[in-house]
Amino acid sequence: MSFDDKKHIRGQVLALKSFKKSRQLNCFSDCSTTVSLAFRRCGANMTLAKQTLELWRGTMKEVGGKFGTGVLSYFKFLKWLLMFNIFSFLVNFGFITIPQLIYHPTPDIPAGVSFKGLEILTGAGYFSHTVMYYGGYSNKTQGTGGRSEYNMQLAYFFTVAAYMVLCGAALIYSMASSFRKKYVLADSGLGGAWQLLCSWDFSVTNEKAVRQRKNNLRIQLKESLSEKVQVALLPLTERLKHYGVFLGTWLLSTGMALGCGASVYFLSSSGSLLEEAATLLLPFVVSLINLVVPLFYSLFKKIEHYSNPRMQVYAIIVRNVILKMSILGILCYYWMKDVANTFSCWESIVGQALYRLVIMDFLFIMLGSFFGEFLSNVIGTKCIQSLGVPEFDVARNVLDLIYAQTLAWIGIYFSPLLPVIQIIKFFILFYLKKVSLTQNCQPPRRAGRAAQMQTIFIAILFFPSFVGALSMVAYTVWTLPPSDKCGPFRGLNTTFSAIQIWMDDLNRVDAFQWTVWIYQHVIRSEIFYFLISLIILVFIYIFRQITQGRQLLITLLRQQIVNVSSGELSGLTCLVHQSCCVRSGCVYVMMLLKCWNNIFS
Amino acid sequence: MNNQHPYRAHKRFCELLSKEDRNLTSVPMEKVLSLPTLSGKGSVCHVFSTSDMKDGSLTFEDFLDLLSAFSDSATLEIKSHYAFRIFDFDDDGTLDGGDLEKLVNCLTGETEDTRLTPEEMRQLISNILEESDIDKDGTVNLSEFQHVISRSPDFVSSFEIVL
Repeated sequence: MSFDDKKHIRGQVLALKSFKKSRQLNCFSDCSTTVSLAFRRCGANMTLAKQTLELWRGTMKEVGGKFGTGVLSYFKFLKWLLMFNIFSFLVNFGFITIPQLIYHPTPDIPAGVSFKGLEILTGAGYFSHTVMYYGGYSNKTQGTGGRSEYNMQLAYFFTVAAYMVLCGAALIYSMASSFRKKYVLADSGLGGAWQLLCSWDFSVTNEKAVRQRKNNLRIQLKESLSEKVQVALLPLTERLKHYGVFLGTWLLSTGMALGCGASVYFLSSSGSLLEEAATLLLPFVVSLINLVVPLFYSLFKKIEHYSNPRMQVYAIIVRNVILKMSILGILCYYWMKDVANTFSCWESIVGQALYRLVIMDFLFIMLGSFFGEFLSNVIGTKCIQSLGVPEFDVARNVLDLIYAQTLAWIGIYFSPLLPVIQIIKFFILFYLKKVSLTQNCQPPRRAGRAAQMQTIFIAILFFPSFVGALSMVAYTVWTLPPSDKCGPFRGLNTTFSAIQIWMDDLNRVDAFQWTVWIYQHVIRSEIFYFLISLIILVFIYIFRQITQGRQLLITLLRQQIVNVSSGELSGLTCLVHQSCCVRSGCVYVMMLLKCWNNIFS
Repeated sequence: MNNQHPYRAHKRFCELLSKEDRNLTSVPMEKVLSLPTLSGKGSVCHVFSTSDMKDGSLTFEDFLDLLSAFSDSATLEIKSHYAFRIFDFDDDGTLDGGDLEKLVNCLTGETEDTRLTPEEMRQLISNILEESDIDKDGTVNLSEFQHVISRSPDFVSSFEIVL
């Protein structure tokens, strides 16, 4: 709307208001206006209160103002993961822990075990007999008969299942919407000068930061110009050399990841790691590997020459993900194969191992913040001036968060109160990272691409992280026999048998026959899943064809715009020719209709 | 714009009015441009100013208009519309080579040694026009601008001023 239009409308509204006011000056209208004004003020105050209650709003605006949207995306991601954990804590505590605490308020600790300080770090000892872990829950149906029964087995199973399903749905939804908004719409061309210009961050408020941004933008524009020129110029030998270097570095990094995984496996299966202090060795080694090996990977940057700096960031991300997930994969394999067969209350053992991993990961993130940011700042400013003030490495920090969340997701089944630790950890981490950022780091040099990186991070959070955790929990529930001395599923063949028993119970009641029918013919039948998969594949194929037809239509319409604007009517015959090659017939008809419209309009 | 923003906006507006100008209702252009992110972008003030003297001064209502266009609840169309008007330095309704050159200089640096060389500038402008000029007339009009903006996912989150 132009400003004259706005002024005109505003004038009209004001005239109308003053006209209305002059007409209704009696007492009743006064009252009603006062009341409505009071309501509006109340509503405004409530929105204001809601916004001040919104977690960390002021801090995030401050960070975004000083460091830009790229760094802000890390803090938004942290807050989002915190919400997952708060929800998980509420669900677990409400449905599993509170009933257990109501019926068994004091945990039955065997004699001789008391609370020493070391439990905070190791999670074993006193904690292993409390409701912290799987083993602390009973398998009985609580309460007296009649309506106030509470079946602990079903509650445990369904709480974990419902949380996982809701998490999965939330992740898929945010991944898909992020993908649609930020990835598909964005052009994936090289350089993208407009992208750079339009990413000028108006929200930056610091004058020095603005000057730095101008500098960085100039450097990036120059680089994008030189990139376009450079790609064409490399001779064949150079390119072969580059590919050889790429192959070498990728083999080396994958080899390092697998080597670390193997060493973790041998460490965990060797020796008697059940003494309390010695149990800390494995998480220490895992966290040390996660801290040190990515530094090696970043050394590869000096040898490789990616044509696109974005590809370099992707390469680093993929390598780190392979490393972390292979270590977690090896640990899960060890737990499911060896621990499940060896120990009597093995779920609690696994829960304790996860607790130790979470705590050690937290300590190492704090250490990493100290060495990565504080010491780099000191070295960069005082000792080696050429290094300069460090940048906040968003990718590495987000991958650390994803790793931490994977641990929490795996631990949901084995340790229902692990989300509490995770919530405390993320809370402290937020303030720690914010302080470290403001004291030690400078705004990032490369602008833009924050939205695409966020899509990739959500995708990594979904695919290796959540799907891996879900498959591990699903495998445990489906096939592994639960320990027979502790936990809510003791005595059963598999955890899933609890559902089977419940269905058998329901079968005896006539009113619930439909549930039993659904269970037998939908959930447990393979034909159903096969048919669903087939239908989904057919739909995917149809939608893909439609998308391709639309892309072709876009190209043809672009051509038409150029032709019409340059006044070439002969372009129409070209279009008709091209439309013969179009796959779907309706597009052909639409194009013809458009052409006829243009000729006769 | 959210409900509490007018209070903060008024506070900021009063900060921009110096003590001597207390009886004035509009802030001169130089004071508005003292905000760091708007420095050098005089066209921002001209776009939002409704003063008859065409000097770019902003009344409080104009200031609110500016803030609401830059707020996070403004839609993509509003933001791209205002962005187009801001980038259109010569106010002729299209972004031609001169506008683009001024825009790049504005965003990269003011002094001689921080500017791009003329060769680079030419290359950059031809890249920009190649990307966004659909009807190949050598200028970027409003619809082409909005089209290229809609493909840039960072635009909405960057085109924001927070108080």
